[in-house]
Amino acid sequence: MKIKLIRTGGFIPVTKAAETEVNLTDKELSRLLEIIQPDPADYRIKDGNYYELNVGSRSEAVDLAKVPDEYRALFDKLKSDLRIVK
Amino acid sequence: MLNKLMESGNKKIADLAINSNFRSFRFRNDRIFFHKASVQERAIFGLIAKQAGKDTMQMEVYDCRQKTNLAGATLLWDTKNNQKITSVAGKNVIKGGKASWDFYWQLFGRNSIDNKGLLIKQYVHYDRGMDNAFWDGRRMVYGDGDGSVFTSFTSDIDIIGHELTHGVTENEANLDYENQAGALNESFSDIFGIMIKQRFNNQDVKKSNWLIGERVMIGPKYALRSMKAPGTGYINHPELGDDPQPATMEKYQNLPITQSGDWGGVHINSGIPNFAFYVAAYNIGGYAWDKAGRIWYAVLTDTSLAHSASFTDVKNLTIVHAEKIFGIGSNEAKAVKQGWAEAKV
Repeated sequence: MKIKLIRTGGFIPVTKAAETEVNLTDKELSRLLEIIQPDPADYRIKDGNYYELNVGSRSEAVDLAKVPDEYRALFDKLKSDLRIVK
Repeated sequence: MLNKLMESGNKKIADLAINSNFRSFRFRNDRIFFHKASVQERAIFGLIAKQAGKDTMQMEVYDCRQKTNLAGATLLWDTKNNQKITSVAGKNVIKGGKASWDFYWQLFGRNSIDNKGLLIKQYVHYDRGMDNAFWDGRRMVYGDGDGSVFTSFTSDIDIIGHELTHGVTENEANLDYENQAGALNESFSDIFGIMIKQRFNNQDVKKSNWLIGERVMIGPKYALRSMKAPGTGYINHPELGDDPQPATMEKYQNLPITQSGDWGGVHINSGIPNFAFYVAAYNIGGYAWDKAGRIWYAVLTDTSLAHSASFTDVKNLTIVHAEKIFGIGSNEAKAVKQGWAEAKV
């Protein structure tokens, strides 16, 4: 399946995205999305960036600091591949 | 005695007595007002001498080593030890942090972000290729840029002043970070950021180009924002296209209050109050921080400024403070009104 990492926000609001093909079962994907779900925040970081993961029609906010070690390389690659969405 | 003279049949004597009585009344009331005035009010009226040399700034600079774990960052420099450093980003934030602290202290008697001497914490080399800077509620964090569109976000003093001012705003009006209040939050950061840069470079309103982040954005034709002409920071950029900021209210953008909607366009609609400030400061003339800056600082620290303030609320307060500081009908008050009129607020 295809997953797409999207970054929004920042000092000037720029959207960046990167996608890749992964071999994950629906169960593995659901578990991953659950783990990397951001904590509910009552504070909005000023000029902060935000990430979301798109899989098919699903779009979930994600906290990259919570990515488990087994998926670290995947997300590092996605982050380095982020390109400005024109 | 004075009362008797005021009732004198001699018009000249009566006029002199009335005039003298009026002046006594004003002196008495001025004394009472200034006796009760807060340090900030006294600073706004220019009654506090610049306290040059009294350096109580406390700052620490950390190196994130291109990681995102702030707790794991290493101390690069602090005011106590004044270490020699080689990091350009580190040197930039020390310079920008000092310029920002000096600005608030020497002009307004404000002791750091919280006016209580808060330790200023700055983190450089955040993440790999991060093209951003932010204030996380406690500290300022800067990325090195992606190297193609953006360079280090420490390259411009106005960015450092912008982030530090988010902290000041949080300790004062604490404007909501969405819709018009959020755009005002961003605008106050741009306004004080540009003044910090202008003061550091000794630029008056005519000499300044009123660009935010002109070095951060790679290419001589580009800047992150323009306060003089919002929407022209970058035009036809190969990656970013056109700067989306409006300068006037009829082009206000209603965006969703979501992360991807920039919390209702806080970085977009800030162009409108930015433009109002630019016009006001330019029409007043001289150094922006001398008069326009005093007015906007008085508004930012006015306890009646609501968290959810609208552009109109800030417009009204800037006029109130311009008239309070410089007088009703003064050129300064007229310039402030003109600024908001040109922004069509």
